[in-house]
Amino acid sequence: MSNFFRLLKSGLSNFRRNGWLSLASIIIMVLTLITMSLFVIVNLVLNTGIKTIQDKIDISVYFNDTAKQNNIIDMQDSLAELTEVKSINYVSKAEALEKYKKQNASNPKLLESLKDTDNPLPASLEIKVTNPDQTDALVKIFDSEEYKPYIREYSLKENKVIIDKLFKATQFIKQAGFVATAVFTVTALVIIFNTIKMAIFARKEEIDIMKLVGATPSFIKGPFIIEGAIYGIISTAISVIVIAIFIYFLSPALINYFGGIGNSLTDFFLDNIVILVFAQLFMGILIGVLSSLLAVRKYVKIS
Amino acid sequence: MIYFEHVTKKYEQSEGEKTEALSDVTLHIKPKEFVIVVGHSGAGKSTLIKLINREIKADEGKVYVGGIDYSELKKRDIPYLRRKIGVVFQDYKLLPKKNVFENISYALEVSGVKTKDVKIRVPKILELVGLQKKAKNFPRELSGGERQRVAIARALVHNPRILIADEPTGNLDPRNAWGIIEILLRVNQLGTTVMMTTHNQDIVNKLKKRVIVLQNGKVLKDKEAGAYEA
Repeated sequence: MSNFFRLLKSGLSNFRRNGWLSLASIIIMVLTLITMSLFVIVNLVLNTGIKTIQDKIDISVYFNDTAKQNNIIDMQDSLAELTEVKSINYVSKAEALEKYKKQNASNPKLLESLKDTDNPLPASLEIKVTNPDQTDALVKIFDSEEYKPYIREYSLKENKVIIDKLFKATQFIKQAGFVATAVFTVTALVIIFNTIKMAIFARKEEIDIMKLVGATPSFIKGPFIIEGAIYGIISTAISVIVIAIFIYFLSPALINYFGGIGNSLTDFFLDNIVILVFAQLFMGILIGVLSSLLAVRKYVKIS
Repeated sequence: MIYFEHVTKKYEQSEGEKTEALSDVTLHIKPKEFVIVVGHSGAGKSTLIKLINREIKADEGKVYVGGIDYSELKKRDIPYLRRKIGVVFQDYKLLPKKNVFENISYALEVSGVKTKDVKIRVPKILELVGLQKKAKNFPRELSGGERQRVAIARALVHNPRILIADEPTGNLDPRNAWGIIEILLRVNQLGTTVMMTTHNQDIVNKLKKRVIVLQNGKVLKDKEAGAYEA
């Protein structure tokens, strides 16, 4: 225990006395952690965003008034057999009217006009699909001889264009994000390794002296490893604060532009702050300790 | 205590060309002895010290220190060997980022001495070398003589059986130099084997201790109560 505290103390004072090299290592590590975290956050928020949008997009099939309920139920059954279909909800003419009335409860004139006429709203099937890309099987059923006559229209065509666009956009953002994260991580690793190596090279003489007064390689390594870990801990603290500030100021703008997604960014940050902190701490300490170990290894060997 | 048996050490000068720093040196230093090694620069004094501290290996012959045969010493045992020997280096070799107290305590910490004991032993040794008031200073804030005394304190703090001092009075004025010599004599009286190298004629002549004269890597003279004649 005495030895551990000795190491800790030695590592801490090394860190303090190393001045600008410590600062350089920390700045680089903070940048790495921020970049990685932001890409992870953006990726995850995008994923939830896409999912929300996908969930919102239904395919609606509107029926002619000539269609009888059993025709519609028949079609519902054959659609339900498809694996592409997640859920189907049958909305009868009466239900559609109820819904419409509820939606327009604040507009009494409109509701007044409805009373005079027959219910003008069509019966419909609201279909949710597992994958908005795979709707060919559904279209086949819609266009089949059996059901085509009953169908007034279906909303798939216009939706598909929107979905396709969204998909292409998110796919691109994800790929670009992944590539950028990978590039940044590798760059940061190389830079931190070199920074610590420089720091250790500058202290080559010190290490030689330590060896000469009888220090074992592991005794020499200890403080350097602690020093690397301290870089990780301090960098994590700074990075989390910077990200929090960033999100705090950015989310109003995001909510303006994207509505829900802006909100979910803040929510995501708050919901996952513990995981985020620990993940960064893990990465930071890992990078710090690993680079220290690699950089010091060569110099502590006794020949 | 220290035994050299036909030791030869060569350094590679340039492509394939080797010069002998020590050639066929045989000498024996008994426990509790005080030995002065003199010789011009390049005579082999530093090589002798580096061989004892196992910074380098002999090319031929055998080195024994404290009963250990260096030719059979494993690399991982070198740190433990060095803890038994105190070396005062010519260029002090103090750790620049540690203060005086930490520089000295480091020599204890490497061998796992408890913090409690470190706090007792370091002030004692600081008192011996007269640096109690400089404990918190860093090496760059000290004069040459003070640095030399820190180096001696570090070499002595773990109670080594052998103290090796390489030109301990090298850069010091006479008053400081004698201060250092007095410390070495006191340590020797307490039972530590002391070996020092020097250029200082005055010191050699006044001490009247055993003098080993090295010349071109060979032992030229080895006399009890010798005088400076290199």
